[in-house]
Amino acid sequence: MNNQKSDMSRASIFSAIKNATPTITKDAETIQQEALEILKESEFARPKLSSDDATEALVLRIEAGLVIGTSCEKISALDDLPASVNQFLGKYSLPQELKVQGIDRLQKLNWQGISTDIDIQKDNTVGLCWAEYGIAETGSFVVHSSTEMPILLNFLPLYLIAVIPKSKILHYMDDYALIANEIAKKGETPRNMCLISGVSGTTDIEGVLVQGAHGPEILHIIILEDQ
Amino acid sequence: MQVNKPEDFYKNVSKALAQPDLKMIIRRTTDKAEKKRAEAIANFPEFENARMQGQKVKDHTIKYMDHYLAEFEKNALAQGAIVHWASTGEEATKIVLDICRQHKAKKVTRSKSMLGEEIGLTHAFDNSEIERIETDLAEHIIQLAGDPPSHIVWPAMHRSREDVVKLFREFHLDPTYSEEITDLVRSARRDLRTKFLTSDIGISGSNFLLADSGSTCTVTNEGNAELTITPPKVHIVTAGIEKLVPSMAHAVPLLRLLTRSATGAEITQYITFHNGPKRANDADGPEECHIVLVDNGRTKMLADGMEEMLRCIRCGACMNHCVVYKHIGGHAYGSVYPGPMGSVLTPHLDSLEVANKQTHACTLNGRCEEVCPVNIPLPKLIRSLRARSWQKKYEPLTNRFIVQAFAALAKRPRVFQLFCSCGVVFMKLFSRQGWIKYMPLTSGWTRNRDLIEPESKTFMQQYRKMKKAKSDGV
Ligand code: SF4
Repeated sequence: MNNQKSDMSRASIFSAIKNATPTITKDAETIQQEALEILKESEFARPKLSSDDATEALVLRIEAGLVIGTSCEKISALDDLPASVNQFLGKYSLPQELKVQGIDRLQKLNWQGISTDIDIQKDNTVGLCWAEYGIAETGSFVVHSSTEMPILLNFLPLYLIAVIPKSKILHYMDDYALIANEIAKKGETPRNMCLISGVSGTTDIEGVLVQGAHGPEILHIIILEDQ
Repeated sequence: MQVNKPEDFYKNVSKALAQPDLKMIIRRTTDKAEKKRAEAIANFPEFENARMQGQKVKDHTIKYMDHYLAEFEKNALAQGAIVHWASTGEEATKIVLDICRQHKAKKVTRSKSMLGEEIGLTHAFDNSEIERIETDLAEHIIQLAGDPPSHIVWPAMHRSREDVVKLFREFHLDPTYSEEITDLVRSARRDLRTKFLTSDIGISGSNFLLADSGSTCTVTNEGNAELTITPPKVHIVTAGIEKLVPSMAHAVPLLRLLTRSATGAEITQYITFHNGPKRANDADGPEECHIVLVDNGRTKMLADGMEEMLRCIRCGACMNHCVVYKHIGGHAYGSVYPGPMGSVLTPHLDSLEVANKQTHACTLNGRCEEVCPVNIPLPKLIRSLRARSWQKKYEPLTNRFIVQAFAALAKRPRVFQLFCSCGVVFMKLFSRQGWIKYMPLTSGWTRNRDLIEPESKTFMQQYRKMKKAKSDGV
């Protein structure tokens, strides 16, 4: 019954559109060409980055305080990650417990006494994730949902550490859109693609900014230089 | 909840103007938004280009709406989503409630979506056996208060910190006794945490519908959309058909415009593209994803020559810069969509007959069009609605009489000038120390503020005098 109604509504929406725009030629190729033309303007319609080097631009953006609640550092090799994490935990006097994304390269590290697991719970304090990409324009890191990437890992902990391989830092959101398109062509689009630019914040009470509204209050980005 | 109606606009306005703090409360938020937007645009010299590009993206998609809708449907189905179509708000809410009932849902979490408000989803849940939990902080506040939203970006801006303290103490299980805003936010975080994780169904809107991938997209600062959508077994998206764009690359320019125009931030903290239900081995995510595509007046706008309004990306800049909105606030409009954009949208969602007064409240100062990130000619659209309203004789007889009397006078310059000179003398009779506190026929103005005393001479008298002085001088 519901399906029938939905089909009827579908038909009436399409015929209403057709009646409203009766004279437009609509072959798919022309439409696609027109759509691509518009994208050529992006080069002149986006902000200039503070450096031609995407990693530098990302770091400068974070250091200028433009990414809410976020700090960053660079490490030269993955083996240096546990020491960096330890320092972060020390800085905020956090327990030596970490929820770590379930990928081998993170699980196999020598965590120097920090207990790590992937069992994400309601009130976890610190999470660590491996970002697919970084975006200099917006100071973002990007995560894709997968077997190893629970989306909630990025939202439940109050403190979040994101590791971004240097080679995966893009200049603009447009660059990420191209990559997403390539992934789609391979039929490998994940359920979620999250562009995260800073911590969870709200200005809903009297316009005052508060960090840690529902998700993380503090975000630390670690850029891995040898990857 | 006492909800204002659009047809009671004048009554609603009187009520709003009689609230002593309302103007201050509204301006606290809108003035800040205005300032922050100006800073963001100043730091983005490419803004005009971005605006042109954004407009082109929307115009292109609207022009080929049926092509992109079909493409979106095909790709969303390929991602495993279930697509539903609704011609009206009523149909859309029925679809959503039916899905909830099929799943025997007891409680649903919802992340803010203006379309949800527009189609009456909140009321539909409140009149059902299913508990609705709003997860955006502002929506959470107005849900506890039983208020409708008063702004499309800050729906609870009419509520002060003191109000929030009272509400949270009354309704939160583990409330804070502090009045600090940070502690209040923490109290909401505690309260909503368990609700996120135990909800049966997550409901969201979508800022964009990507035709080439069938993706929906949420844009938030709080991260409540992902927390709403990920834990439950079912995700339901409700979205207006005008949210379409050809691809993610086409959404990017609009994202650049949206947050800068809304809050003055360069980007929101969370932009997530949702592609159907969870994959076989995904660590988390909903098992079922429904997308409800809603018309509710949009194709009517297309047919009515109002297609420019379909560009709207719901940034709220037009209301933040509107002198009328800043005086009367959002509730007075009696619609989910207040301010200039609401004055154009509401007549299409309800009817021009009930929502024509809002169009007359506009001063046509053009500020809204100046700041609109997708160049919507709001004053032009408002004027055309006024003209239609006049043709259909929706104005009260007194207004029609006054306008006709004015037209008759304006066509006879001498009589008009005589009338103006008498008017000045008449007004002077009621003036005290430069202000008029009371005068017959002006109670609509003087009830809430004084009227400034006019100059001793009319404009034309002063103009002639000036011209004469000039020519004498020469
Ligand atoms: S009409 Fe323009 S300014 Fe107003 S909400 Fe829509 S996009 Fe923003």
